[in-house]
Amino acid sequence: MIRGVLLLCVLLGVTLIGLLFRASDNNTFFSTHYPWLLGLGVALIVGLLALVGYQIHSLWRKLRGRVFGAKLALRLMAVFVLMAVVPGGLVYAISVQFLNRSIDSWFDVPVDKAFESALKLGKNAIDAQLTALTRDATEAAAKVTLKGDDIEPVDLLRSLRSQFSVDEISLLGDDGQMQAFVGGGSRAFSDKPSLAEISDTLKKTPVRIAESQADRSLYLRVVVPVAGSPPQVLQMVRAAAKDFANDVAIVDGGIRDYERLGLQREGLKQLFALTLTLTMLLTLFSAISLSFLLSERLSAPLSALAESTRAIARGDFTKLNPVRSRDEFGVLTQAFNTMTRQLAGASEIVSAKQQELEHANTYLASILANLTSGVIALDERLYVKTINKNAEDMLGITHASLKGSKISAWGEPLPSLAPFIEDFMAQLVSLRDKPWERQVEYEATSGRKTLLVRGSKLPAALESGFLLVFDDITGLIQAQRHAAWGEVARRLAHEIKNPLTPIQLSAERLQHKLASKLPEAERALLARATNTIVAQVGALKSMVDDFSLYSKSARLTPTPLALNDLVNDVMVLYESMNVRIEFQLAENLPIIHADAALLRQVIHNLAQNALDALTGVASPTLRIQTRATPAAAETAYVYFSVEDNGAGVREDVLSRIFEPYITTKPKGTGLGMAIAKKIIEEHQGQISVSNVRPHGARVEIRLPVNLQ
Amino acid sequence: MGAKLEANEEGYQVEADVELTLTRTLQDAVRKGVPLYFVVEFELRRGRWYWLDQTVASEFRERRISYAPLTDQYRISYAGISQNVSSFEDVRRALSRVRAWTVLEKGKLRPGERYDAALRFRLDTSQLPKPFQLNVIASKEWDLSSEWYRWSFVAPTEAKP
Repeated sequence: MIRGVLLLCVLLGVTLIGLLFRASDNNTFFSTHYPWLLGLGVALIVGLLALVGYQIHSLWRKLRGRVFGAKLALRLMAVFVLMAVVPGGLVYAISVQFLNRSIDSWFDVPVDKAFESALKLGKNAIDAQLTALTRDATEAAAKVTLKGDDIEPVDLLRSLRSQFSVDEISLLGDDGQMQAFVGGGSRAFSDKPSLAEISDTLKKTPVRIAESQADRSLYLRVVVPVAGSPPQVLQMVRAAAKDFANDVAIVDGGIRDYERLGLQREGLKQLFALTLTLTMLLTLFSAISLSFLLSERLSAPLSALAESTRAIARGDFTKLNPVRSRDEFGVLTQAFNTMTRQLAGASEIVSAKQQELEHANTYLASILANLTSGVIALDERLYVKTINKNAEDMLGITHASLKGSKISAWGEPLPSLAPFIEDFMAQLVSLRDKPWERQVEYEATSGRKTLLVRGSKLPAALESGFLLVFDDITGLIQAQRHAAWGEVARRLAHEIKNPLTPIQLSAERLQHKLASKLPEAERALLARATNTIVAQVGALKSMVDDFSLYSKSARLTPTPLALNDLVNDVMVLYESMNVRIEFQLAENLPIIHADAALLRQVIHNLAQNALDALTGVASPTLRIQTRATPAAAETAYVYFSVEDNGAGVREDVLSRIFEPYITTKPKGTGLGMAIAKKIIEEHQGQISVSNVRPHGARVEIRLPVNLQ
Repeated sequence: MGAKLEANEEGYQVEADVELTLTRTLQDAVRKGVPLYFVVEFELRRGRWYWLDQTVASEFRERRISYAPLTDQYRISYAGISQNVSSFEDVRRALSRVRAWTVLEKGKLRPGERYDAALRFRLDTSQLPKPFQLNVIASKEWDLSSEWYRWSFVAPTEAKP
């Protein structure tokens, strides 16, 4: 926009200056419009001044706003303005001086004097001729006065004309009336004298006039009085010599021109000074305005580069600057663009890598979380870096409480971990870099656990440190133990059961054969011994049956079963005992599917155990209880429990009570609970033992309503 | 100022007397060889209620005043005819009088119709030498143009032959 305005101003200015100089010629059109041209010039200058003011204002604003490149623009602008103002001002000053001097030099004292003298000379020459003509006229007037009446005035005038060699001669009355006239040729030089001239003449001031004509001719005219009554005047006109008239015209013209020049002198100076000033101001302001534009244009690439730099700093790599020029700025811009593209590529790669890494981390974390083993990663200084969920569960710790702490310090907040840690540290010290594996007993809040701990040092190529992996093998060990016991029981049962029947039969046979042959005393002994043998064999048999029952994986034959009925059925057998039995059987128990014979065995075992525990207890009480889960529960279960008020189970036994041969009773195989557990588990149920307050033990069975 | 338009055998002629004051500056300029051009302008319009006025006649008469130093004479030139006078007062007198200026041919006006006539007298500054143009702008002394003198004129019915 500004460029357009400036261009317009400059064009107008150039045209105007041209017109102003043309106006100095003597040309009617331009001189008529000279004031307009001047006004237009002033208006243009004011316009340019406003433009420059606007530009200065905008540059000032940019400087105030610390726009990048504004200072460079200011400096460039200052240089340009200096370059325009100094030479322009110099030329202007010299021009004005030169003009004034040269105009003044036209006017010279000697030339002045010469013209003055020429004027005087010319006047004298004319005067001399006029004086001569006046003399002639006076003489002629005297002759007219003396003429007789017989002579016609015209004739007299004709003779006088030729006598005095004048061109015209005329006689007039004092009223201005022409009385006689003699002229030469076709045209009159002059009008008749005016009344004013006649009256002047009559008052003795003769009229002497030299009149020049447009055709450069000069004639002299005098009017003299003619004495007489009434008074008359005589006018004589004589044309000056052609050469003389010519000279007079030339001198006249010269003097006129010179004087006019003198009169114009100041005006001329003013005119030139004004035109020059206008030109100078127009040029100057145009140059200043142009310098603003140029400096802005030169500093524009810098601003663009600064803008791009800021964009890159913000992380925006899309801002590329178009390369407009082929100079160093263009090269710089191109290099900048190349750099921006490279940065954009690099940042893309970085972000892609970062994403990859995040993905890998997530993947690793998900693997760790889903691993059944516990994993703890330590750094070189044995500070905890990572603990997975399983490790937390196994050790009963939380990540948050231990992360960033040294593993050797774990013993303090968690005393139960102390032996585990000590053991671990010892391994670390003794084995250093070699991987190791160890089974560790650990007392967790949820019970004693056996952990298999494997430790290894991470390879130094990666982030060096240590890795602990541990598995809870409590269940595994238990299963192994169970399997082993099962096998033992099966073999024993097999080996023992075989000879039992012959032993029993032999004993019965002995009694049968010998009883009649022996005396009374011996017969009684025999009977007792035989009975003992048979009874013990029976006991042994039942024990072996227990073993085989335990070792065999029994085949379930589930049938619909009402638990309460079964319980009542079994407990009838115990009613004769010297024990109070409390029944708390829930009504509306759902029908379950179970092997009735096996369940009966379980109930027997539990009841027997409880009765055994009540031996020697004051007011022995047995509490039998059944209940069901609420109808809204996800999986329907029924519960059955037996509670006694005996001494309870010793703590050390409690955890292993379901293992075979764990017993507190003086007699018994120690298989009762083991068998019960086995049967219940085969029914997909659960069995648990706990002590109750003030004293006693409680065994609870949970059975699913629907077998899978 | 007084002016009138008359119809006679020659046609329509203007006669006017202008009140004219010529300043000392002007006299000096003339005496120093600057020719002055005086212009008398005449305009005749016919009013039209439905449109712009019709310009029936627009004439001007230019008179040039110059000075011959050797003979100390002023010369008034008009259309090739010149007249010499001895004093500046004579010049003024000559200039202020307009006589028998035929501005319109006979029969160019509708008889009985009313016309608006206007007359103005001025110094034609555009014919002054260049340096004086500045003076004209700067000083009032050179501004010698009179106001338009206006009067209305009713064209006479056809004059007797």
